[in-house]
Amino acid sequence: MLPFLPGIVPFGIVTGFTPIALGFTWIDSWLGSLFMFAGAAQLATYQLMNEHASIWVILLTVTAINLRYVLYSASIAPHLADANRFIRLLAGYGLSDQIYPICYRDYQTYEWGLEERIAYYAGGTVLLWGLWQACTLAGAFAGQIIPVFWSLEFMIPLTFLTLALQTLKTMAHRVTAISGTLVSFVGLDLPYSLGLILGAISGVCFGVLYQRVIR
Amino acid sequence: MTLDFLFVVGLAGIVTLGLKSSFIEGQTYFTLPPWLITALEFVPPAVLCSLIVPSIFKGDSGLVQEFGQVAVDPKPIAAILAAFAFFATKRTGPTLVTGMFSLYLVYWLQL
Repeated sequence: MLPFLPGIVPFGIVTGFTPIALGFTWIDSWLGSLFMFAGAAQLATYQLMNEHASIWVILLTVTAINLRYVLYSASIAPHLADANRFIRLLAGYGLSDQIYPICYRDYQTYEWGLEERIAYYAGGTVLLWGLWQACTLAGAFAGQIIPVFWSLEFMIPLTFLTLALQTLKTMAHRVTAISGTLVSFVGLDLPYSLGLILGAISGVCFGVLYQRVIR
Repeated sequence: MTLDFLFVVGLAGIVTLGLKSSFIEGQTYFTLPPWLITALEFVPPAVLCSLIVPSIFKGDSGLVQEFGQVAVDPKPIAAILAAFAFFATKRTGPTLVTGMFSLYLVYWLQL
């Protein structure tokens, strides 16, 4: 887990201070971290609230961004199947891009019992969660004293850009990204942030189509 | 903080928890068909790219709000330069730094 920690510090700070740049308070910013514990979805929620998007668009976007957790959840679930419901709920809340690959790898490498598996998951998650909360709080406080002209709200699209580029592993993913971007651009002036939803749907459709038909 | 804010962020939190817990909690009740698992892989890049577009092409940056409009919006240019920085370094830090400094530079060059 330790090698992951330095990497989440800048993202945590950005996630904490960008809501401040959009006009939210530090408590608003921190509540997102507490309730969601999912950086990209937090940023999207604040951005869309700032654009006065409808709640359905916000929830659809949060769902879409967080869909990868369904895959993580499906793959880690058999290892936590015998845990009690409270532990499973906490494990769900703490599931992250960092804890998933580590636990998935080591659960298959070592023949641990349930208690060891839970302790391993909990140790990494508590460390990550604590650091994430501290970084977002630090970012939120820093955001209150940084002047508007620094344009720190621009960190949101830059962060999304970085996250998006990290996902472009195959040509099908690139087709997804390009088509999603183009459709979202064409639908820029549609009401209720519909361009975003259409961009996302068309991106997925073109990606699947490319993978199944063209390749 | 308003009740509306709490409502939206609270619901977003519940949705996030639901997705994260979907199989950890519900593994005995359902399984996903393979075609859906394949489609899910494409959701993050599609959504993230769609999210980037409005925040780059709509609205004014803090620079514009403070010092006024310039002929060419610096945001799209800064985003392109940030993408180049990512391809060169594959790291988040240099991408963010390049994007922000490009934004300042492209704006300053037009003053």
